[in-house]
Amino acid sequence: MTALLEVSGLRTSFKLESGGEFAAVDGISFSVEAGRTLGIVGESGCGKSVTSLSIMGLLPKGQGRIAAGSIRFEGRDLATLTPAEMRALRGNRMAMIFQEPMTSLNPAFTIGDQLIEGIRCHRDLSHADARAHAIEMLRRVRIPSPERRIDEYPHKLSGGMRQRVMIAMALSCEPRLLIADEPTTALDVTIQAQVLDLMRTLREETGTAIILITHDLGVIAELADEVVVMYSGLIVERANVERLFALPQHPYTIGLLGSIPQLHLVQDRLNAIEGQVPTPMTEIQGCRFAPRCPFAADRCLQAAPPLVDLGDGHSAACWRAPLEADAEIELVA
Amino acid sequence: MLHYLLKRLAAIVPTIFFVTIIIFGLQQLLPGDPAVILAGEDQDPNVIAYLQKKMHLDEPLPVRYGYWIAGVVHGDLGESLRIQQPVLGLIEEKLPVTLELAVIAMLIALVIGIPAGIVSAVGKDTVWDYAANVIALWGLSTPNFWLGILMILLFSVSLGWLPASGYVSPFEDLQANLAAMIMPAFVLGNAIAAVLMRHTRSAMLQVLNADYVRTARAKGLDERSVVLKHALRNALTPIITLGALEFGTLLSGAVLTEQVFSIPGFGKLIVDAVFNRDYAVVQGVVLFTSSVYIVLNLLADLAYFLVNPRLRG
Ligand SMILES: Nc1ncnc2c1ncn2[C@@H]1O[C@H](COP(=O)(O)OP(=O)(O)OP(=O)(O)O)[C@@H](O)[C@H]1O
Ligand code: SF4
Ligand SMILES: [Mg+2]
Repeated sequence: MTALLEVSGLRTSFKLESGGEFAAVDGISFSVEAGRTLGIVGESGCGKSVTSLSIMGLLPKGQGRIAAGSIRFEGRDLATLTPAEMRALRGNRMAMIFQEPMTSLNPAFTIGDQLIEGIRCHRDLSHADARAHAIEMLRRVRIPSPERRIDEYPHKLSGGMRQRVMIAMALSCEPRLLIADEPTTALDVTIQAQVLDLMRTLREETGTAIILITHDLGVIAELADEVVVMYSGLIVERANVERLFALPQHPYTIGLLGSIPQLHLVQDRLNAIEGQVPTPMTEIQGCRFAPRCPFAADRCLQAAPPLVDLGDGHSAACWRAPLEADAEIELVA
Repeated sequence: MLHYLLKRLAAIVPTIFFVTIIIFGLQQLLPGDPAVILAGEDQDPNVIAYLQKKMHLDEPLPVRYGYWIAGVVHGDLGESLRIQQPVLGLIEEKLPVTLELAVIAMLIALVIGIPAGIVSAVGKDTVWDYAANVIALWGLSTPNFWLGILMILLFSVSLGWLPASGYVSPFEDLQANLAAMIMPAFVLGNAIAAVLMRHTRSAMLQVLNADYVRTARAKGLDERSVVLKHALRNALTPIITLGALEFGTLLSGAVLTEQVFSIPGFGKLIVDAVFNRDYAVVQGVVLFTSSVYIVLNLLADLAYFLVNPRLRG
């Protein structure tokens, strides 16, 4: 069976002011099976949003481009599609929820206008039918009195409500793939929990595959089946969620895990690892994590470690992997 | 929000009052005694004295101001001493001319400026963008009277397609009227189109990077709806204000352009009145056009408020 989404060797570059280009995402591969949830974790700036925008074909024109690799969705190479074919997928077969609920809705139109427009773009429905469907979607994302709310402008809604509207919009055409780019980061903790709960319920109802992007391992633990850990434009570790939490192999992942006291607790930011993520612009010869890695050895500075399969669908990009158990404990403690 | 508009409305009265003081004050700076100028060549002291009395020139400034304001409040803008006509009548006579010129010029400006701004924003850094910017720069830096003269030379003198000057009322002969109006309207509209284009471009550039525009694309909408609906709607707000102000400026009369094309509108009326020290006319017309400007400003705010749901509350 081919996967619903297959990303291989994706490299996405942005123009530099100085004229050159830098790779914000530098050759990453992963796949998502129908109905499964893939979590992507990593600190700010590691390329999570760029990855999702690349998949959606929404990279800012003239600034960013897919420089290498391929993205296959439902068996089709997205690079070969015409703009019209791509539009027919977007919002329909694949949909996205953005990081910024406060600014992602158009302030000049009612939420009803914005929902109905998306529905009618892909479904041959009358305005009245589309409106009924939009109300139904708002009800499904637990917006109270949707018949009334549908005619309101976004500024009347709280951040959590707006993100619900975005979720309703994204799910309104029953996409096979939903990319949720930090859907809760901008929200209060209690609202975060509600929205995550909602996503879980909707996933069960619809069977949609989800790419859940976050820098919150608590969220990953709650929702993901598989996990990809990104660092500075690269995938440094990939495994199913139980394995990743039980036997993390990359020192970066171990550091991330060390920074959450209890896995089921939602926590906002991972900042327990010292040092800073090198920007993708900095040219690094060896392992990109070396400047922050407690295990860094000479070899690490000379060549970048490849992503190596360690068995059981677990892979890591570290010269030291697989790690010995005592090394792990030393770091976590 | 209604509260805000009422406040704006209430502010109109003191604003216009302030304007009257400025108009009256500036007027005093004009050199020459109007009575002397009006008295003509003979300079008969009796006539001068009579005129001075009639114009209250023998009284102190505040009193003269008082006379004028009292009239204004009662809807009487005084009388032109030179042509012996009520100022209000003169305004009524010239208003349709200036209004027609302003409307046509504004239409030309909107039809050129906004699409050009959109195209150059959407095609930023393409030839379209460069072309639009070069033309806009040309439009901004070309003096109206010079462009007017060039157009007359080309279309009237060389080609003989359009009359060089001479205004015909649209009710008499619409075609002749439009033929006389099109060049001055283009000259005025062209300059405003350039301003509108630049503002539309920068507003669109800002809005095209907005998150909600990305959302619109993520829904699968075509570029047309993304640009013309989602982006333009939000970019339009500052442009409405600008357009209203430019229109207000047009309504106060295009002095040079009206002069070049001999269009008998406000511009020409004011110039003639200033040269003749026809105080009542200058004061009346300037007060009228300033009031129109102030009201348009308010209407622009109202429009701003109508297209901006956040302000509607
Ligand atoms: N439009 C752009 N132009 C230039 N560089 C960009 C652009 N968008 C993203 N980048 C760069 O790409 C890199 C990855 O950014 P990205 O937004 O994917 O990070 P992220 O993992 O989503 O972070 P966050 O958790 O803060 O959302 C960053 O270094 C960023 O500066
Ligand atoms: S390769 Fe070396 S520096 Fe990089 S993570 Fe592994 S041990 Fe650390
Ligand atoms: Mg991001």
